[in-house]
Amino acid sequence: MQDNYLAKWLNDELTEAELAEFKKSEAYDTYQKIKESAAQLESPEFDVDKAWESIEETKSVEETKVFILSPFKKFLRVAAVVAVLLTASFFYLNTLNESYTTEYAENKSITLPDTSEVILNAESELAFSEKKWDTNRNVDLKGEAYFKVAKGKKFTVETAEGLVTVLGTQFNVETREDYFEVTCFEGLVSVTINGEETKLPAGNSLLAINGKSTMSKAIVDGKPSWLSKESSFTSIPLHYVLDELQRQFNVEITAKDIDTAQLFTGSFSNENLDLALKSISVPLQIKFNLDGNKVLFYAEEAP
Amino acid sequence: MKSNLLKADQQLNVCEEQVYKSVFNETSKSIFNYIYYKFGNEEKANDAVQEAFVKLWENCAKVAPEKAKSYLYTVANNLYLNVIKAEKVRLKYADATLKTTNESPEFIMEENQFKEKLDNALNSLPENQRTTFLLNRIDGKKYTEIAKMEGVSVKAIEKRMHLALKSLREQIDGI
Repeated sequence: MQDNYLAKWLNDELTEAELAEFKKSEAYDTYQKIKESAAQLESPEFDVDKAWESIEETKSVEETKVFILSPFKKFLRVAAVVAVLLTASFFYLNTLNESYTTEYAENKSITLPDTSEVILNAESELAFSEKKWDTNRNVDLKGEAYFKVAKGKKFTVETAEGLVTVLGTQFNVETREDYFEVTCFEGLVSVTINGEETKLPAGNSLLAINGKSTMSKAIVDGKPSWLSKESSFTSIPLHYVLDELQRQFNVEITAKDIDTAQLFTGSFSNENLDLALKSISVPLQIKFNLDGNKVLFYAEEAP
Repeated sequence: MKSNLLKADQQLNVCEEQVYKSVFNETSKSIFNYIYYKFGNEEKANDAVQEAFVKLWENCAKVAPEKAKSYLYTVANNLYLNVIKAEKVRLKYADATLKTTNESPEFIMEENQFKEKLDNALNSLPENQRTTFLLNRIDGKKYTEIAKMEGVSVKAIEKRMHLALKSLREQIDGI
């Protein structure tokens, strides 16, 4: 009998002689019975669909995990955020306007990209876009400024009160609360207030107080008086004069028993406060009291 | 040129859902049985199927389709290596009573007694003999196939088979 003959027997690999010999052995009956019974054996039920489903579930979970843990993807995400921030800040900074401001009692001289000159008076703000300057000579103004515009394309000064457009000239623009004054020193200036356009020839000034505009001859000696450290006024309500005084000297002004709506014509020095106070009080026959940076104007007692 | 094309054609990837699904349909039941014969635990057998196929999916790019089967058996086998104790294998018998209605009650009783003895004998077999015997008898696996699954020679499987039959007979005959 060869090795492992029982295995060969199950596999029908025994020779006829071997098989005959095996059949004669007393154990053969039991082996035959084992073979027959084993043929009826069955394995437990296996739910193929259920197994497939749970594998599909696990697979998708694993895939998500891989996505989250992938360090390269993480790097890409960070890189994308950085790229977006860089691009956004580049465009933001590009559109940001150049801006200049002056405080109380401060003047500033600014040269625009086309060599036009702007001199900012006290407490004023000027802004323009340097990038767009070539196509659009446009400045935003709050407060007062004197412009010496180089010849070229249309030059526009935008203020809350109105628009001033020129082609190349010298002019002064002042905007304060409810107060808008444009003085033309050279050439021709076009002023638009509430959509109404006024041509302003040299030597004239346009004054708009509370939306009412009047054009008058200006005393012009080539440039505005504030550039030579003097503020001058022609028939201007007193409270605007006092506001200007406040701005030029950085003082706090109070007026007691005085009609601040009365018109004032005259000028005051922007350098000497005592002199300036006298320049205002003497012609109006009022008195003043200076205490530190506080000024009190009060009515002269009736004689 | 032609051989290149053929090669590209043959390189069907297990990562492709279709290939993967067909491997699953062919092999899942077989893995389930294999693990069940070893440990007699249906739950563990189900887990093994799950584990093996998820592993195959994760490594689908590295496993050639023709190697997928043996890869699955190896993963399933390694999963519980030395981890769980084998339990009793509970196998059912196909309902043979219809064919044997003409048999006498004594014969049926003897038959049932024999089956019970066989059950006990199967459970007292060493794990590798029982697995080999059942894979061959129930699943109809050839000795060469079992040899591949277990990672041993065909000769070794024949030896296991021979010893399995011998111990079964000795148990049943009470030697």
